[in-house]
Amino acid sequence: MSAALATPAIEQQDRRFGYLMAAPSLLALFLVILFPILFTLYTSAFDYTLIQPTHDVFVGLDHYTNALDNAEFGQALWVTLWFVGAVVILEFVIGFTVALMLNTVERGKNVYYLILLFPLLMNPVVVGLIWRMFLHPVLGIVNYLLSLVGIGAVNWLGDPQNAFWTLVMVDIWHQVSFMVVLLLAGLSALPREPYEAARMEGASTLQTFLHVTLPLMRPVIMVTLLIRLIFAVRTYDLIYIMTRGGPGQATDLVSYFIYRQAFVGLNIGEAAALSIILLLIVLALTVYLYRYMRSLA
Amino acid sequence: MAGNDIRLEHVSKVYPPDVKAVDQIDLTVRDGELMILLGPSGCGKSTTLRMIAGLEAVTAGDLYLGEHRINDVDPKDRNLAIVFQNYALFPHMTVAGNLGFGMRIRGHGRAEIEAKVRETAAMLGIAELLGRKPRELSGGQRQRVALGRALIRDPVAYLLDEPLSNLDAKLRSTMRTELIKLHRRLGRTIVHVTHDQVEAMTMGERICIMKDGRIVQVGAPMEVYRNPASTFVAGFLASPPMNLLDAQIEAGRDGRLRVVCGRLALSLPSADTGAYAAWRDREVILGIRPEDIHEHPMQPTMQPVEVQVVALEALGPEIILVAGLPGAAEISARMGASFAAPIGEVLRLYIDPADIQLFDPTTTNAIPRRAQTVSSDAA
Repeated sequence: MSAALATPAIEQQDRRFGYLMAAPSLLALFLVILFPILFTLYTSAFDYTLIQPTHDVFVGLDHYTNALDNAEFGQALWVTLWFVGAVVILEFVIGFTVALMLNTVERGKNVYYLILLFPLLMNPVVVGLIWRMFLHPVLGIVNYLLSLVGIGAVNWLGDPQNAFWTLVMVDIWHQVSFMVVLLLAGLSALPREPYEAARMEGASTLQTFLHVTLPLMRPVIMVTLLIRLIFAVRTYDLIYIMTRGGPGQATDLVSYFIYRQAFVGLNIGEAAALSIILLLIVLALTVYLYRYMRSLA
Repeated sequence: MAGNDIRLEHVSKVYPPDVKAVDQIDLTVRDGELMILLGPSGCGKSTTLRMIAGLEAVTAGDLYLGEHRINDVDPKDRNLAIVFQNYALFPHMTVAGNLGFGMRIRGHGRAEIEAKVRETAAMLGIAELLGRKPRELSGGQRQRVALGRALIRDPVAYLLDEPLSNLDAKLRSTMRTELIKLHRRLGRTIVHVTHDQVEAMTMGERICIMKDGRIVQVGAPMEVYRNPASTFVAGFLASPPMNLLDAQIEAGRDGRLRVVCGRLALSLPSADTGAYAAWRDREVILGIRPEDIHEHPMQPTMQPVEVQVVALEALGPEIILVAGLPGAAEISARMGASFAAPIGEVLRLYIDPADIQLFDPTTTNAIPRRAQTVSSDAA
């Protein structure tokens, strides 16, 4: 065998060995991720309910057209949009402010990090339960503390006006450190020289922030915002624990709405169609994020 | 001329807990002068420059610009421009944006900024790059933009922090020449920090050599080269550096003082006898520049020394002969391009005792040869 032919044979062997090594994880991925997605996609085209769990009645795209006509689903999308917009913007503003302040801290940075990371490490279910106790209209500590300064009891989760913003507030408490940690990492990695150059030119703090920090931080900011956005769209646990989408539809996020269709309405086929819509939304955001990160490299 | 002298009086920089980066230095950079701060890394030269710029606070001592003490003056009010080693361009701005940044910050009009940017870019030959971002530029082009950002300001002095060290050798020598031309044209003070002795020798009107946070010697390049104040300066300037050999001063049979190093013995010029008398029968360090060792006795005062050829390093225009002194260390000698000798051969070379330098082995400082050369100009 000539040397020129020998290399591909070895390469082929390597390739086969590679596939062999990857096979178990590929199989696992197929079983737990790809199969459920394909099954959902398939089911979304049938009248599949928990009363009659069969793929007997083919309905084509009916579930999709119904969903888009459904005012309740439209409302859920609307609430989700508001919720995502509110938490991402507020968490960014608070997170960036805190990150800028922490960036100037010299001593005890690790202590701040630890405190900040604490909520992030908690399970959303735990966070929901804790806050539900804190915010209990009669027994909660929040209303007790407010009563000490003469403010009357607030119905945090029972009032449609309050419930949405209460959830936003709890989500901020839970997730803002994600922004802080990422943005702080970005800030501390910025080069020192452009700041010194700006200082020599006589730029004020605000000018330095606008002309140096913000443009230099743009990639980090974009990635942080998009990741947070994608996760916020899928918020479910907090809603389930704290409000169950109520009162009325005040906190009815899409993921919770889908849950209701499936396990309260027992209409798996329609829930599957809604899940696919949500998947497409998240997928579009992810593709955009991926493209953006690629363009930075 | 004292209008815009930069004067450092007992200036120190101490980083907590007590790292002395700069230790009580005194230095005057005259208005319009091109001063080089030279030294190995960590000698405090960049820190000194950054203190002048105002980017580092002065721990102790006084810093003057002209008659004004500027220790506590904000960097922007010192009217100094700095060029950073890695250029510190704003990556998100075009070349024009980078050049005009300072003027925009200070609120100049758009038309005025544009005119000034064009003028500066033309001067540096980067007019066609104005629309590009820094990442689309080569190292040399970025360097010009960084320089341009300083030039556009018309400051009292330019502070250059190793601006050429990121360039390749060829570009570095081109930029060196351009900086000298620029200095001549602008007539402004330039303080240029470098660890490159070639840069220092070729560019500087005066060189300030620093070591361990202190100034070792200040003077014109050739003056420092010919009369190094210590073995550090002798060994730092030029490549190959001055040969430094352990030696003794003895009285010869004819009564004249000799410097003896192994079997090398040079009778000292009678004019220097007075200066060296105190060193009789004591250890010294003998310094000889490689170019002061000759193949032929060109002067009657030259004295022969026998050496054995160890290696030849051909550099093109010249050949560096590495030779062993019998019973002593190896020395380097600069020979003509046509020099040839087999390895191991014993040769006779010639040294003029008037060219040698003697150093005190305990302080490593130069031993003054005659009374009048004592005057140092560490001012």
